[in-house]
Amino acid sequence: MQILEIEGLNSGYGKVDVLLNISFTMKVGQCFGIVGPNGVGKSTLLQTIAGAIKPKSGSIKLLGNEISGKNPEDIVRSGLALVPEGRQIFSGLTVMENLQLGLTGRVDKKTSHQAVEQVAELFPVITTHSKQQAGLLSGGQQQQLAIARALITDPKVLLLDEPSLGLAPNIINDLFSNLSRILEAGTTLLIVEQRANLITKFADEILVMRDGLIQARLNKIDAQDENKLKEAYFGAGVKK
Amino acid sequence: MFTKSLVKGLTKFSFAELFIPLVVVASSSLWLSGRSTSLLLFIKFTLCYLMMVLSLQVFVGNSGVLSFGHGSFAMVGAFVSGLATAPLMIKQNAMALSNLWQPLVDFKLNLGMSLLASAFAGGVFAAFTGGFLMRLNGLAAGIATFALLGITYNILFNNNHVGPSNQALPGVSQFSNLTLPLVLVLLAMIMVYFYNLSRAGRTLRATREDNLASRGLGINIIRVRWMSFTFSGVLAGLAGAMYAHVGGAVQVQDYYLGFTFYTLAMLIVGGSASLWGAVLGTVVVSGVSQILLMWEQSSPVFGITIHLPIGTRAIVIAGMLVVILLWRPNGISNGSEIKLPNFLRKIKAS
Amino acid sequence: MIQTILNALSLGGTYALASLGLGLVFGVMRLVNFAYSELITIAAYTLVMTSQMPIIVGFLLSVVVTSIAAVLMELLVYRRLRGVAPAIMLVASFGLSKLLQQVYELCFGALPRSASIAPWMSGELKFSGVSITNTSLITALLTIVLLLVMRFLLNKTSFGIQLKAASADFRTARLLGVRANHLITLSFAMSGVLAAFVGAILVVGNPQVEPMFGMNMTILALVGIVIGGISSLPGSALGGFIVGVILSLLNTWLGNGRVYSYSWLFAVVFIILLVRPGGLLSKGQEMERV
Repeated sequence: MQILEIEGLNSGYGKVDVLLNISFTMKVGQCFGIVGPNGVGKSTLLQTIAGAIKPKSGSIKLLGNEISGKNPEDIVRSGLALVPEGRQIFSGLTVMENLQLGLTGRVDKKTSHQAVEQVAELFPVITTHSKQQAGLLSGGQQQQLAIARALITDPKVLLLDEPSLGLAPNIINDLFSNLSRILEAGTTLLIVEQRANLITKFADEILVMRDGLIQARLNKIDAQDENKLKEAYFGAGVKK
Repeated sequence: MFTKSLVKGLTKFSFAELFIPLVVVASSSLWLSGRSTSLLLFIKFTLCYLMMVLSLQVFVGNSGVLSFGHGSFAMVGAFVSGLATAPLMIKQNAMALSNLWQPLVDFKLNLGMSLLASAFAGGVFAAFTGGFLMRLNGLAAGIATFALLGITYNILFNNNHVGPSNQALPGVSQFSNLTLPLVLVLLAMIMVYFYNLSRAGRTLRATREDNLASRGLGINIIRVRWMSFTFSGVLAGLAGAMYAHVGGAVQVQDYYLGFTFYTLAMLIVGGSASLWGAVLGTVVVSGVSQILLMWEQSSPVFGITIHLPIGTRAIVIAGMLVVILLWRPNGISNGSEIKLPNFLRKIKAS
Repeated sequence: MIQTILNALSLGGTYALASLGLGLVFGVMRLVNFAYSELITIAAYTLVMTSQMPIIVGFLLSVVVTSIAAVLMELLVYRRLRGVAPAIMLVASFGLSKLLQQVYELCFGALPRSASIAPWMSGELKFSGVSITNTSLITALLTIVLLLVMRFLLNKTSFGIQLKAASADFRTARLLGVRANHLITLSFAMSGVLAAFVGAILVVGNPQVEPMFGMNMTILALVGIVIGGISSLPGSALGGFIVGVILSLLNTWLGNGRVYSYSWLFAVVFIILLVRPGGLLSKGQEMERV
């Protein structure tokens, strides 16, 4: 079943166009990775899908319902959440307060309590540091909190922008094992990741972006072929 | 230095950008002032406001830092010029001045020199306070300039050793005709235009666009801001003095919140980023204000008379500011200098 | 001595409430709302106009009127200015403030309207030789209670957490489901309620209401939020409190020189800002995000 359908999406800031005619669709339970050099519009794409940036044209459908142009607070309620780049946790609030904020975007309030318990199981930091100021957590803990906070909105699609940024290698391993548990639970994932070697092993499909376009789509096997990935990444004609 | 290439091409001299505002100001002043004595007085006051708006444009327009404090430079300018030109008789006999400090009683200059002295005083005061104020950014800077206005007003309003405190100082010499104020304003416009074009002006605008980046490029933000603040203090001192010489009296309340609001409104309505914006804002706000005033007094404007209740003017001016900001946050000029209309540009090109 | 302390506390508390009202709105939309002054004024006018009714009725009416006025301000003016540079919003609020002053002048006249409001508050209490005025005692208690209520609202309720989050980073808060329009409207309403309390406290002390009644209070409360730290609500309240206390003490100590108390106060503000440009409760020197 199609869960996310993006068709002819254009977006940008003011007069500057950043995304040009982006189209792709995702099925329930899939995980897509987006790679590409800095500044090609990867974050803009996620922000636009989540509603933080208004698209200029094109359509974004979540479970068949048009969500493009809606406010971010409404999009999160229809089941799509974003873990933004740099985590953006509220450093002045406690861990539990950060989590409670995620509950504002949750439609099913009756199960809020269970939801907190569920994410706490996945991310122990929530129980161990619940009263602590979120700003005092380590980078890895902050990332856990950021993902937990998005998960608690009960998303069907979870977007993650550079989740591994600034984390130590062993923490990144934990992160991806958590992500795979989220995936197993049936959540569809769309991940922007600079570290191509990490995401190619993880995702079902890789979208390579350049200059606001999807340059290439690679399946899991092709994506792990270094030459094919490089060719897609740097354009044809680049040989090792 | 790097800064030059950073903002190069942002503005370059264009004859029309300078000439059109000069012609607009000079011709409308001369034309209207000849029509009646009340219009002559209106034009004189408008020129004072224009001087003040130019002063604000130099600093607020280029730095992007809001200042509520320029009224204090105008106050100081007005006090200097007023005390320098008020006759000795008045200074010795007016009740409000019975405690006036002796050197101020003896202080005596002619009209031209008093204008120079007030410009100098405004500049020195701005240079001194700017040394502290320019270290601040954003809202803190805005509030600190407010505090400056508050302090200056509070002292001048209450202290009768340095002036008439809360009374009016009468007998200040008046401009005998339009020539001097008009020439001063036109000169100031030329200076402001070239300042905006100059490296100092462009550098300051670069800091407005991006504070951190320009710091990274080695721009000393405090220094370029301070220079602009001092220059605008000179113009504000002059504006205050001119206001005193038009009205023939000095009263500190005239330069406080109402004055601050009115002149800031002019700048913002016109668009703070350009000379043309400053001129346009002053002309539009004063023009509308004068028309409404005449209608409040039931006199005809271009043959049309509408009877307006007293008080309409103030409401409309404040309302106009709000509506224009909603409609065009960068002011009527939208932040640019005036461009020649298309057909004229074609003629010029051919 | 006790009277001096009580005066300082009650004035400090009143300014803290006003600063909090301004700080709420500043937090969610980076707006310095000069027209807050006109909210205080309308609250005071309502109390004067309803002085024939029982004080509690008049006060409830004034709370309703003031919060509706605050919400209307947001809907009609500030909502359309969202995303505009803070300096432009500041000037717009300055304009709105002037506009409302003129409207008040048209409706109520330029001369003060007065009425005797809660005359029982002007009495004195005597404890073993020490006498204190009712007004200062009641004001001090009232502001302390209100500040505690606000503290509870901000720290323990979902609204408070959303408000704090939105003040820190509105964009991320919205991504988590915080409804921007609701939150901003609610903040304005709350700021209106606080203005109604401030207006009531002021009008009991000085029942001469004219169009610029709230002006002084607002300017000084603004000064308060800047010295306390604009990005933090406790900072706003603390800054307002400090301003009130300093002003009250200056008025007591300066005697005849009290006409200059504003100058001294502003001088203190200058120094605080030079030493800590981000305000007393700021964490180091942060650049404004705006």
